Amino acid sequence: MVTSKGVLVFARNNAQIDYCKQAYALAKRARKFLDVPTSIVTDSTEFLLNEYPDAEQVFDKIISIVWKEEDLAENTTLSKTENHALRTFYDGTLIEKKLHFKNETRTLAYELSPYDETLVLDTDVVICNSTLKKCFDRTHDFLIYRTSYDLANNDRSTDFERISDTSVDFYWATCVFFRKTPTNKLFFDLLQHIQENWPHYNNIFQINTPYYRNDYSFAIAIHIMNGYQRGDFAKDMPGVLYYTTDKSILWELNDTDMLLLLDKQGYSGEYTPIRTKGATVHVMNKFSLNRCIDG
Amino acid sequence: MDKGFLIFAQGEEYIKQAYLAALSITATKNSYRTSIVTSDVVPNEYKWAFDKIIPIPWYEETDSRFQTEHRWKLYHATPYNETIVLDADVLVLQDLDYIWKFFENYDLYFPTRVFTYRKDLVTSDFYRKAFTANNLPNVYNALHFFKKSEKSKEFYTWVELITNNWELFYGKFCKEFFPKQPSMDITCAIAAKIMDIDADITNVKQDMPMLVHMKPKIQNWVQDTETWGNRVGIYLTDELKLKVGNHLQDTVFHYVDNDFVTDKIIGKYENAVRNI
Repeated sequence: MVTSKGVLVFARNNAQIDYCKQAYALAKRARKFLDVPTSIVTDSTEFLLNEYPDAEQVFDKIISIVWKEEDLAENTTLSKTENHALRTFYDGTLIEKKLHFKNETRTLAYELSPYDETLVLDTDVVICNSTLKKCFDRTHDFLIYRTSYDLANNDRSTDFERISDTSVDFYWATCVFFRKTPTNKLFFDLLQHIQENWPHYNNIFQINTPYYRNDYSFAIAIHIMNGYQRGDFAKDMPGVLYYTTDKSILWELNDTDMLLLLDKQGYSGEYTPIRTKGATVHVMNKFSLNRCIDG
Repeated sequence: MDKGFLIFAQGEEYIKQAYLAALSITATKNSYRTSIVTSDVVPNEYKWAFDKIIPIPWYEETDSRFQTEHRWKLYHATPYNETIVLDADVLVLQDLDYIWKFFENYDLYFPTRVFTYRKDLVTSDFYRKAFTANNLPNVYNALHFFKKSEKSKEFYTWVELITNNWELFYGKFCKEFFPKQPSMDITCAIAAKIMDIDADITNVKQDMPMLVHMKPKIQNWVQDTETWGNRVGIYLTDELKLKVGNHLQDTVFHYVDNDFVTDKIIGKYENAVRNI
C-alpha cells in the first residue's frame, strides 16, 4: 500500500497579513527541500487563485474552509470557536499593530489532511534544509518540538518551559508530524474538545491569558494523553527549532541563507545582524517575511 | 513480625495525618500494615487503621514542635524486623512492594533525591543550606528504611547520642546555618557522616523511592509563595486518583501543609478502605 505524505499549512488572512503568500512560498520550499507536496487550508481561496495564478500547481490540494450558517446547526468546532482575538503583531521593536489572529483551525488538521502522514507547519516556518523530511522516516506516530532556540539568545527560558508557572510542559504547535492512527484521532478529538471549552481549560491549567493559543492546547492535550503526567505520547521532531520573535526583522532571504536583524534586549530599536546558512527558522515577524518573499 | 510501616505522631494534627497516611497505605493494597508510635490518645474512630498503637518508650513530655528528641526511639519501638518509617504528613499512592524488594539490599536507607509535583528533581537547597554548607549527606527522613541489624542499631545509637547532645554535635558538624532547633534530617546526616556510611545508606543515582516533596519554595516556580495550596489545585477522585496542579501523583506524596488534610479527603479514603 502506498502511503501518502505531505505538508499541511493553514492560511487565513487578516487585514494586513497575507498568510497565503507565506504558504505559497513554503509550498515551493517544501517541494524543493523535503520533496513532498503541500496542501493549504484557507478561507481565502478566491484571493489565493486570483493573486497566485499557478496556485493549483504549487499546492497539491486547496482545501477551503468557509464558516457557514449550517456549521452553527451542526455545532462544528469551526462555528464554536470562530471568535478571532485581536493580537499585537510587531514588525521589529518599534512598530506594532493590532490585528485579528485566526488560529482556530489547526485542531482540524487530522480530518482535513489528505495525507496518511502529515507534517503541519506554520506558514512562517522558512525551510532551508531537509531535516524535517526525517519525520516521515521516524517510527513514532506523533512528533512535536518540546524546546526551541531563540536566535537572539534573549533569555526566554521561563516563557517556553511551561504554559504557565505552575502548569504543564510547553510544546510548539509550529511544526507537528502525525500519522493517521486511532490514537492520533483521539488526540485531535481531544484538541477540539479543549478548544471548544477553552475558558474551562484556560482556567484549570492556570494559563491566565484570555487568548486561545494552539501551543497551549497541544501542550494540555499531550499532558492528558500521557495520563496527566510526563510520558511518551509525543516525541521530539528531528533537528532543532530555531525562531526569531516578531521584534526581530528578516532582512534578506535567498535559497538557503537569511540575513536577520535580531532584537537587542533592553535596547529598543537596536539590532544585531546575523546570517544563517541552511537553517530552518520560524520567523515570527510576518511583515518582514512577506517583504522578503516579495523580494 | 516481618515488615511494616511505622509513623511517629504526637499531637492531634499529626495523629489525624498518621490516620490518613495509614488509610492511604491500605487503600493502595500494600502488603504490610502500619503502626503508630505516640504517647497521645488515638481516637477510637482512628484505631481500626493501625496494626499497633505503640507508646513512645522512655517518654517524658516536652514542648518541642516536632518532638525530635523522641524519634531515635523508633528503632526500639518498632514491632517489625524491617520497617519503613514515614512522616505523618505523607500519602502513599501506590503499592510499595517493589520498594521493599529494593530495600532488601540495605540495612538502612535514606532517599537523597526528592521531586516536585511535576516530578522534576529538586535541585534547590532553599531549605537545606545547612546540608550544602556543611557538606552533610542530603538525607530525607520523611521516608526511610531500616532492618534490625548491628549496623542499624549502631546508627540509631549515634542518633540518640546526637539528639541528646545536639548543640554539641551541631556545633562541630553543622556550624554554618546552625539551626534554632534540632532537625531529624540533620541529626541522621551527622550520624551517617560520623559512621562514614553515607554511601552505604543512600544511593545518589537512585530515584526510588520517589518522594514528592511539597515544600513550596522548591517547586521550580518563578513566583514566590508561602503555601503550595494557594498556587495549584488539588483534585482527589473517589477512586483516589490524586492530581495536583493537573499532575497525577502516583508515588509517595509528602504534602507538608496540614491544610491539605480535610474531612472530605479523609472521608474518601475511609470509603475506599471500607470497600476493599
